[in-house]
Amino acid sequence: MMENQEIYERLNNVFRDIFDDESIVVKPETTSNDIEDWDSLEHINLVVAVEQEFGMKFNMNEVTTMKNVGDMVKIILERKTK
Amino acid sequence: MVLTSFVFLIFCVITIFIYYIVPKKLQWCILLISSIIFLFWNNFSISTVIQALIVLIPTYILGRLIDKNYNTEKAKKFLILGILIILAQLIYLKYTNLFLTTANHIFNLFNIEYKFNLIYRNSLIGISYYSLIMISYLVDIYRGTCKAQKNILKCALFMSYFPILTSGPFVRYDNMENQLYEKHKFNYKNLCNGLIRILWGMFKILVISERLGMIVNSIYGNLNEFNFIFIFMAAILFPIQLYTNFSGSIDVIMGTSEIIGIKLPENFSLPFFSRTLAEFWRNWHITLGAWLRDYIFYPLQKSNVMQNLNKKCKNIFGKKIARKISMYLSMIIMWTLIGIWHGGAYTYIIGSGLLQFLFIFLEDILGPTSKKINNKLGINTEVFSYKLYQVIRTYLLFSFAMIFFKANSVTNAIDIIRGIFTISFSSLFSKERIYAMINNIGLDMFDFIILVVALIVLFGIQLLARKGKIREKLFNQNIVFRWVVIYTLIFGVIIFGCYGAGYNPTAFIYRQF
Repeated sequence: MMENQEIYERLNNVFRDIFDDESIVVKPETTSNDIEDWDSLEHINLVVAVEQEFGMKFNMNEVTTMKNVGDMVKIILERKTK
Repeated sequence: MVLTSFVFLIFCVITIFIYYIVPKKLQWCILLISSIIFLFWNNFSISTVIQALIVLIPTYILGRLIDKNYNTEKAKKFLILGILIILAQLIYLKYTNLFLTTANHIFNLFNIEYKFNLIYRNSLIGISYYSLIMISYLVDIYRGTCKAQKNILKCALFMSYFPILTSGPFVRYDNMENQLYEKHKFNYKNLCNGLIRILWGMFKILVISERLGMIVNSIYGNLNEFNFIFIFMAAILFPIQLYTNFSGSIDVIMGTSEIIGIKLPENFSLPFFSRTLAEFWRNWHITLGAWLRDYIFYPLQKSNVMQNLNKKCKNIFGKKIARKISMYLSMIIMWTLIGIWHGGAYTYIIGSGLLQFLFIFLEDILGPTSKKINNKLGINTEVFSYKLYQVIRTYLLFSFAMIFFKANSVTNAIDIIRGIFTISFSSLFSKERIYAMINNIGLDMFDFIILVVALIVLFGIQLLARKGKIREKLFNQNIVFRWVVIYTLIFGVIIFGCYGAGYNPTAFIYRQF
């Protein structure tokens, strides 16, 4: 099973790549308010990039309802332990 | 039934009165009956009843089937069938002319003599709203966001809830389900807040928007009689006319619904303070934007087609550009649809669709360069003057696109733009010419002063609204002050509202959609 820490490390890379900002460090409570370019358009790019990174799929309900990075990680863990 | 009409007022009073005296279990039935009356008020015929049923019955049945077959291939088929039925009727009733004009243009291009006559079909009020709302209902069941409604009458109420039929906002079932069918106790605070909101909406529509409409229509209707300054003025006043009209009707709707005890999602959030056009559209017609994001843009971006395109582009242009290409492609599709939704004519597709996309696209691709330039020149972008420049720039871009939205035809829009750029200094110095133009503006001095004062009030209130919820603060004041505000608004609207001869309060700009 994937460790939490590993997920966050890999997510960090995805976030840094998408938002073009090497200083980003994501935490469970990080939301779109904390990252300047994370708007509704970039959100879907982020989701797709995370899907590719972890080889899983979010369903649309999850895409529109996840509130912060913690929610995202919870879903990733769920898919990966199945 | 028009939101600012006396009939609507009486209709609401009766509905709300009965709503609060019947046993609470029956409240939703009263809303349903009122909604059905509202739906067919001006337009009762066998054909319109069938129109409504064509959406209701399949949506109800397919919703339940999707629910029953959740997470299966079958559910997907039911969903597609449902969307097709709703869209087919919407396109047939609202957008036939778009196809016919396009065909005529193509015939023209190839010198074919044939021409289709345009067909004006009699469609039910609110069809552009309830069609999309019911599509979202089906998709939400499919996605597991909500469960299907088992009672067809309750489903009918969700589809036809009367406040939102004229101008939205777009609602989602998971947000409305409990509110619509649960029991509501009469609440004094809701009544006060609702009343203030309704009156504020009336003020926006009747005192401001109608007067601005007279100026804009007078100038656009007689372009030859006005010089470039006046035409430019009409172009920059129209967005405020549209805003006061549309957000004013939303205020009336939200206020009415608040008194009923049902909270609707906000549709505007002070759009004219936006610093970019992208931000503007996050604050303007918010629920339409959210609808398109959740049901068109996200699925498109996540689709295999886009992912494959992305992969191909990645090999050629690199990761970053590939991502942008698929995003812009989805955006073009989305903006074209926004344009089409606003009305089946090219003027809307250009004005509220493609031009908006073009400007947002330019903002996006020029953003990094302008950031670099600002950094090099040491320009502080977080000071008032720079923000003001951005706000004005955004406003002008929106106004420019709205010339098309307002114009009767694309040629008409080009004439207006030409009028703005035909700068003649002689017209500035001819006293007679200026007097003649002022006389033809459609408003006399008295009305003009009222308009200016009302605009100052609007601007002041908006500045206050940026700092927090005004009605909440008002409610915390003494009862005397609260009712002084309510009465001031009532008399303000009655005395200064436009009800003159030849004035037609039915002309809600957004109602025709």
